[in-house]
Amino acid sequence: MISFALRRLAGGLVFVALVAASAFVLTHFAPGDATSDLSAIGASADVIGAERARLGLDQPLPQQILRWGRGVVSGNLGVSSQFRRPVGELLIERAGETALLAAAALFVATLVGIPLGVISGATPRHWVARLTGPVSLVLLSCPPLVLSLVLLFLAARTGWLPVEPGRLALPLFALALPLAASLERLQAQAVRDVVAAPDLVAAAARGVPRSRLIWVHAARQSLRPVLGIYGIVIGSLFGGSLVVEMVTAWPGLGRLMYDALRGRDIDLVAGCALAGAVFLAIGNVSADLLRAVVDPRARESQ
Amino acid sequence: MRRFGLAILALVAVFGLYRFFRAGSPAPDAGGGRLVITQRTEPSSFNRLAVPQFGAELVSRLTNGYLIRVNRPTGAIEPALATEWTLADDGMTYTMKLRAAEFSDGTPFTAADVVFTFRALYDPKVASAIASGMKVGDQPIVVRALDERTILLKFPAIYGPGLSILDALPILPKHKLEAALDAGTFAAAWGVTAPLSDFAGLGPFVLGERVAGQHVTLAKNPRYWGKDAAGRPLPYLDAINIEYVPEQNAEMLRLEAGTTDLITDQIRPEDVASLERAKADGKVQLVDAGVSVDPVGLWFNLVPDAPAAKGRAWLQAEELRHAISLAVDRQKIVDTVFLGAAEPIYNPVTRGHAQWFAPDLPHPAHDPARAKALLESIGLKDRNNDGVIDDAGGKTAHLSVITRKGNTILERTMANVQEQLRAIGLTLDVVALERDALLAQFGKGEYDTIYYGAPFSSVDPTVNADLWLSSGAFHFWNPQQTKPATPWEKEIDDLMQQVASTTDMTARVQAFRKVQEVFNAHEPMVFFAAAKVTIAMSSRVTGASPATLQPQVLWKPETLGVGGPIKR
Repeated sequence: MISFALRRLAGGLVFVALVAASAFVLTHFAPGDATSDLSAIGASADVIGAERARLGLDQPLPQQILRWGRGVVSGNLGVSSQFRRPVGELLIERAGETALLAAAALFVATLVGIPLGVISGATPRHWVARLTGPVSLVLLSCPPLVLSLVLLFLAARTGWLPVEPGRLALPLFALALPLAASLERLQAQAVRDVVAAPDLVAAAARGVPRSRLIWVHAARQSLRPVLGIYGIVIGSLFGGSLVVEMVTAWPGLGRLMYDALRGRDIDLVAGCALAGAVFLAIGNVSADLLRAVVDPRARESQ
Repeated sequence: MRRFGLAILALVAVFGLYRFFRAGSPAPDAGGGRLVITQRTEPSSFNRLAVPQFGAELVSRLTNGYLIRVNRPTGAIEPALATEWTLADDGMTYTMKLRAAEFSDGTPFTAADVVFTFRALYDPKVASAIASGMKVGDQPIVVRALDERTILLKFPAIYGPGLSILDALPILPKHKLEAALDAGTFAAAWGVTAPLSDFAGLGPFVLGERVAGQHVTLAKNPRYWGKDAAGRPLPYLDAINIEYVPEQNAEMLRLEAGTTDLITDQIRPEDVASLERAKADGKVQLVDAGVSVDPVGLWFNLVPDAPAAKGRAWLQAEELRHAISLAVDRQKIVDTVFLGAAEPIYNPVTRGHAQWFAPDLPHPAHDPARAKALLESIGLKDRNNDGVIDDAGGKTAHLSVITRKGNTILERTMANVQEQLRAIGLTLDVVALERDALLAQFGKGEYDTIYYGAPFSSVDPTVNADLWLSSGAFHFWNPQQTKPATPWEKEIDDLMQQVASTTDMTARVQAFRKVQEVFNAHEPMVFFAAAKVTIAMSSRVTGASPATLQPQVLWKPETLGVGGPIKR
């Protein structure tokens, strides 16, 4: 188990390093740089040149990559060109917000999606199942931007949810609802598969009460495949939160990444990519470890 | 393991509930009230000299004092920190009397602060982006303190706009920033995480709470010098809350719902209809501030030997530009793209430019037949009767245009122009690019035409001389020429020199009228429409004097007030 965990961790580290380095290099190849704002307002060539020199953008690309790589190894992610602050400091400031939003969304989505999935899977003719199926489909097919705007519209019009920047309710629902729908669909399918399995059919024949059969035996067995996608879900939470954070003005990493990309803030883009990759890697590694705990066959197959 | 998981979940739930109900909640309204405004970009610094960003400019406008202020609707220069001034006979030297005032930390304001601000402005280590706008012919303004309350400003030459350029320069506290300037660290001073004790200003508000990614709160400056006509101290507001909402649709929803009072960006034409409904419900007030002063135009690549013109000499022919200008029905663009909220225009000077606008200048009427004839005169005609114009070699004459991606007005205008040019057989390929990609193509000179523009910071053409002068960075069609490439550009350069080198307004306006005549005769840029600027504010905002130039409402923040609490 320890060697399995170490292997997964090493893989996660390589993934994080690759993503961050790629982001750094790709941002270089995108048109414009951190001095584009100066060009756009017609600043003189001297001013632009001085700014490029200050930011080290006048150095050859390999030298810049080397400088950045050395910094990362020693724990220094560079300095943001637009905020003039250490990238690490900015990431810490915003990562906590994204982590809170993601964790809360995951918590709410699990709390809502899994039980509804069990009901839908076990009793497809139940009115709850008839209702949740179409609603889940709508939520799954609705682009995050549209869903966020609809929720903001409803919140602003009705006053049921606070809309000012920094309030959790709106971004939480915008992020949690599609996730809950996705968990509900997966759980429903998994439960449908499990209740038809011979051991549960036999248990039913032995007279085990239906509610115990569904909520204890079937629910536990069907959790395995759902657990497997939690890693992907955690990664997607980071990606999905970009749009949600934009619309609902949540001050997280997604918004920081957007600002960084807009300002061609290379060190900050690489830092945000690194933070996002860390989120994804943590999600994947913990899902692998959980699956290995629940199902020993998973670690043997690795 | 299960207990640990439950503990984590409980922790998340507690934090979540706390943020759900408590955090980020602004303080309740009290006294003069709190104005809530939204802005899309968060300032990366509060140091206006070091950061060329609207977010920094806005906070600076609210927290710093200025020697003079240009009244946005009238264009008049009004006293601010300078109470009176005289111009010497040489036409270049101003003597300004300063008001007795205190910085927000209680330190008296003196002439030394003005001298220090100019020193910081021109310091090469600061590399201020606004320094070039504070120079005349690349020479700095010389500033000297005659005594504690008097300064002498000597311009390098007679300069038409005169003191109006000082409207862009915040006066900074010497006692707070001199050490940083001496140490060469001025550009890093007044960062967004600097302690509040580092700041001191002469503006109506002072920096208060700042929460990264959420908001900045500005509190009333109790030491502000301003008083209203009745002698009551200004500003009226107790506080301004600037909330950062990066998505424009979200900003609009907040405004319509009454959870924000003002948005700092221009209203899109497609939003006007829903705002009209909100106005009818008494939620917002809409003010027609006039016609935009910074319209976008279609410029052609007129750089000599441009790669795009290789084998396509017609691209740089004047007839092509005139033909496009004649072929496009501008009113159609006004009606379909701007939904009527615009005016047809024929050069970059709009009705919003007040006395500089010459409404009686002749302009091309919509005439597709004449457009086709002009194209034929440069060898562009339909040679195989397929309805598409071909060049002299028989190949389809393709013209490409780059515009800004995501800007619906620009994209729709170009789609409309494309359709109208198709009617005369001219093929226009529209390519929408992100701003940086667009600027990169422009910088490399790899384009046929570009439909874009740069905002004007003043209606005075001398302040925006970069567009008109052949040496200007914004002389889009052939920028930064060492000497004028064409006789007509030389003529414009000479005329602009006349506009700049006198303070006689009548003479300046007459010379600029001639500039426009030459521009229209050669049309290096084709203009189609200028939007009418609609300012939307919540119905509780009082004391606003909206204008077309940024910041459209907040240029005079001390007289703003709010009636009633904001909806939260």
